[in-house]
Amino acid sequence: MSDLALSPRKPAAPLNGYRIVQSISVFVIALVVISPLFMLFIASLKDDRFQILADMGSFRAFWVDNPTLNNFREVGNFAGELAFGRYLGNSLLILFSTVSLGLIINSMAGFILAWGSLPGRALILSLIIALYVIPQESIIMPLLIIVSRAGLSDTFTAQILPFVASPLYTFLFYQFFAQLPKELYEAASIDGASIFRTWWSIFMPLSLPALATVSILMGIEAWNQYLWPILITQTDYARPISVAIATFFGQDSIFWDRAMAASVLMMIPILVFYLAFQRWFISSFVGSAVKG
Amino acid sequence: MASVSIDNVAKFYGSHQVIHGIDIDIADGEFVTLVGPSGCGKSTLLRMIAGLEEISDGDIRIGDRLVNDVPPKERDIAMVFQNYALYPHMTVAQNMGFALKLKGESRAAIDARVKEAAAVLALEPYLDRLPKQLSGGQRQRVAMGRAIVRSPQVFLFDEPLSNLDAKLRVQMRAEIKDLHQRLGTTTVYVTHDQIEAMTMADRIVVMKSGVVEQIGRPLELYDRPANLFVATFIGSPAMNLIKGRVGSGGFVGEGGVVLPLPARAGASAVTYGVRPEHLTLDESGFRAEVVVVEPTGAETQVLVRCGGQTLVAVLRERVDLNPGDSIGLKPDLTAVHLFGEDGRRLQQE
Repeated sequence: MSDLALSPRKPAAPLNGYRIVQSISVFVIALVVISPLFMLFIASLKDDRFQILADMGSFRAFWVDNPTLNNFREVGNFAGELAFGRYLGNSLLILFSTVSLGLIINSMAGFILAWGSLPGRALILSLIIALYVIPQESIIMPLLIIVSRAGLSDTFTAQILPFVASPLYTFLFYQFFAQLPKELYEAASIDGASIFRTWWSIFMPLSLPALATVSILMGIEAWNQYLWPILITQTDYARPISVAIATFFGQDSIFWDRAMAASVLMMIPILVFYLAFQRWFISSFVGSAVKG
Repeated sequence: MASVSIDNVAKFYGSHQVIHGIDIDIADGEFVTLVGPSGCGKSTLLRMIAGLEEISDGDIRIGDRLVNDVPPKERDIAMVFQNYALYPHMTVAQNMGFALKLKGESRAAIDARVKEAAAVLALEPYLDRLPKQLSGGQRQRVAMGRAIVRSPQVFLFDEPLSNLDAKLRVQMRAEIKDLHQRLGTTTVYVTHDQIEAMTMADRIVVMKSGVVEQIGRPLELYDRPANLFVATFIGSPAMNLIKGRVGSGGFVGEGGVVLPLPARAGASAVTYGVRPEHLTLDESGFRAEVVVVEPTGAETQVLVRCGGQTLVAVLRERVDLNPGDSIGLKPDLTAVHLFGEDGRRLQQE
């Protein structure tokens, strides 16, 4: 993908069967990915929640006759126990705490695995790779018990701490650090740098692509958490926006209009962040995954 | 400045031994070159002096201090790496001042020392540049600057000129030698290039397969190689070696060629060595057929064949020779080297 984005445009090849199939496939995939987002945006501009439901099965889902921002106004004035902005604030707090702590912890672990003299390093690395294949949902119940027993239920800590250390991000950092020349580490140790100083002053500033990749992946993951906050929060105090949106889906009625507007609002920060760093993200992700 | 003493040092990787009990004493202020082919253990030995490799056996002392278990930063050494290992995100000044900053020196002191080193290496115009904005030679100078700002007891160089082109290599060679003469810091320099070793060092350590083959001053090694390996490794073009035995009329080569022997030559010699420049055109010498003539201007290199052996002669005079010509060659008997069955030099006076 990055190659397509960066290389100069090639002259169009003559149309043939293969190219037609290729183009149609790309178009269909793009449609599948974009249409729900487009539908969500259109629905958020419709005033009547029953109309939204009625339109969903037809092409009218992609069209709005009288667009209005009423839903956004209502969302701004309401949601559950707390103001909507507060849930957004909760989400941002969780996002920034998880990402900043995660960058430090995972990069430190990756650095020690790549360059430290750690007994059983190969075994630890294999365990980390093995852990990566275990889905988060499968450990959620034991994790819930641990967090509850630790007295952390209904706190921000419970939503940040379990996601700070990650086998995937530790491995990404490990892979990135391991491909940097050994002499940099050795030069720093001869210059008198401690292992902490070498990590902080030499390897971290050289790891901007890896830092960008991990920030974006971790950020998206933290922003989209839903199951875990629902399980671990009993009150609205520490609830993120993803859970707040669920309050629009009541037992008796579903406020599709507000839910759609809230979803759009929830998407905007992460979408802006992603679009701003898109090219960097794609190239760095490919880079960190392939080189090594 | 300090002396470096390497006493019976060995290195094992698992059960594989790469350094076999090496003893070298480097005097205070001396420039010593470790030279040898790839895989001879010269870089490993340098890294052991630096503290980047553990010592499996033996002792290394810098000055009077045993440094076997001392971490690199406390050995008071500075190292210049083959790929420079400059910190890419730091400017030239920051690269050079990093070690001083870690020592907690004041900003003013760091600036002064960096400027002083930059002046020595003509790096003043580049202090605010990043390494990627510099040429290979400039990067090499920054790497040396990073080493000299610390005023270490010992400089360690690990093939520092390998990444430079031939012209720059010659220039940097002279600069490093000049720097050593001005600073007088004890220097250990690793290279696989025997010309570099010959031109720069006070003493050369020739290594092969983790063993020291010979230690000596450059011309000592050239004039009196201890064995066949040193004889062929030092000198370019390499020494001519002719296998054979000592007969009644001289040294009889395998193809039947008879070469004159110096007086009091050992009878056990099985290899006769003569450097290309010690063969001169002389009709009274042994006969040889010219194969290739390579005039370089200053001298003429002639590849000849005699009795199934191929030899090289370097002639200082201008000669008019053509492939197929039959010429007479005479070895300078004061510069003939004889080697025994075990490949060691036979003493002859």
